[in-house]
Amino acid sequence: MSAPDAGSDDDPDAHRGVDLGTDPGADPDPMVRAVAVSYRYDSGDPALDGVDLEGRPGEIVALVGPNGAGKSTLLRLLAGDLVPDAGELYLPSRRGAKGCVAMGYAGEEACHFESLSGTHNAVFFARAAGLGREEAEQAVREQFDRLGLAEDAPRPVSTYSFGARRKLLLVEALAHRPTLTLLDEPFVGLDLDSREALADLLRERSAEGGTVMIASHDLDLLPQLVDRIVFLHDARVVAGGSPDELLSSMPDVARFEFTLDGAFAGAEFVLGEGMILVSSGDTVVLESERGQAALPEACLALVVAGARIRSVVVRDAGLAAVFRSVTGAELDV
Amino acid sequence: MTAIVWELEWRIAFARRRLFVLNIVVPLLLVLPVALGAAPAVHAAAVYVVLFAIFSTFGSAIPLVRDGESGLSGRVLRAGVEPASYFLQRTAAGAVLDLLQLGPALAVVALGAGAGPRAFFVAVVALAATVWVANLVGVLVAAATRSLAEAALFSAVSTLLLLHASGVFRTPLPGSFGAAFESVAPFRALHEALLAMSMMTPVGGGTALGIWCFVMAVATGILAGRLSGSLGGSGRA
Repeated sequence: MSAPDAGSDDDPDAHRGVDLGTDPGADPDPMVRAVAVSYRYDSGDPALDGVDLEGRPGEIVALVGPNGAGKSTLLRLLAGDLVPDAGELYLPSRRGAKGCVAMGYAGEEACHFESLSGTHNAVFFARAAGLGREEAEQAVREQFDRLGLAEDAPRPVSTYSFGARRKLLLVEALAHRPTLTLLDEPFVGLDLDSREALADLLRERSAEGGTVMIASHDLDLLPQLVDRIVFLHDARVVAGGSPDELLSSMPDVARFEFTLDGAFAGAEFVLGEGMILVSSGDTVVLESERGQAALPEACLALVVAGARIRSVVVRDAGLAAVFRSVTGAELDV
Repeated sequence: MTAIVWELEWRIAFARRRLFVLNIVVPLLLVLPVALGAAPAVHAAAVYVVLFAIFSTFGSAIPLVRDGESGLSGRVLRAGVEPASYFLQRTAAGAVLDLLQLGPALAVVALGAGAGPRAFFVAVVALAATVWVANLVGVLVAAATRSLAEAALFSAVSTLLLLHASGVFRTPLPGSFGAAFESVAPFRALHEALLAMSMMTPVGGGTALGIWCFVMAVATGILAGRLSGSLGGSGRA
């Protein structure tokens, strides 16, 4: 791994030595870049195989793929938690202009100092990142309020629910306002309000020129939040682009979400040509490659199979459909 | 870097008050029958120094391995704490806590031996330096192990070896290699300070213990980057 030794906010050579391959007038230099990065597990199985990726200042990038695709490993490599077996990583220098740690990382493990309160945990990590005591306490208080953790703040972390632990992990990653934010499944365990609050926090990091990279299965939220989506499959980057670009690549695919009276197994369900059953149960989700014109046929097929339809929502093709068309595999969301 | 790890360790210690009290009570219970019984001073001193040294080595190594396994050490180091600062602040806090927790047991030993204030003071200083070295040994042991069981085993083995080399279990033959090593071994000073409380014998090994305190701290600082790799820093999945 190599990292340019300059990276403070006021250093124009922060990423020297990197052939950006982009028009500097059109694109800002990447904050973080992985070039042909490979990593193998101890078992020898590839976790990442020749992955290229970059994140630019002000950009929110989502890594999307099924379990085992390499999303978490890629974030851990960027966080410096793992060392690649091959390839190059270009990262911002460890500390920014104000002496604060440039990176904020929240991984899968939500380990904390269990006997201490949430506030003490978060303030410790904020101070470790370079904030002064009062600055850290203020930043933590503000983020606790925004993520709905204020009531839990004085209690020992050992009494926290899963969701509260996840929120605390996010506060610890974000309180020092990192220039590079790396979050693994940040929306898992969060209620609706907290998800919105987190999305706002990430937008703020982006608006302040920071780069945000998240690994997420939350396909409903991503199109409104991120600037770019990168699909990973079998340890490789298989596609990428803005949500609009990816979704518009499948203009004829429509998604029908049927809400039913009672569960429906769907075993005898006969689907028409170009129609895919995405999920079944109380809500049956179908995707049609023939667009919205296939809705009557889908309704008929369901009714014939014995389902009682209460309502139906018609959407454009989702990211899962795009992923399926690119890889032939399902996103396990 | 401010002393945030030192502060953290104290917060944790006082948040876990039951454990703090247990760590005072258990050494006291182990020391009391020996101190109030009729054990020969030489044997009693060996029991005390073994207890004090192993208490500190275990107390340093086991939590470090546990925090490494849980990913907590890795998080702290990734968050911005320099490895040398992390290990040395943590060890310093651990050593002072050990001294506080072993202090009552040492006081009971002094009372049982009828030691004067000067002998007690010398023993306190020797105990402080010894728990600092033992805590640093615990850091190295933790870095060399991959599980709590290994850490417990290696702590016991390494500490017992150093105790043996310090002449705690038997006096080496004059002029032998063992005698030469004993003169510079880390736990000799505490052993002799404990003996001196009841036998009024001279206390040697103080300079050697001072050197151990310094060299071990410098070595830990220099090796901190490598130690952090073993204890939850960058590694493999």
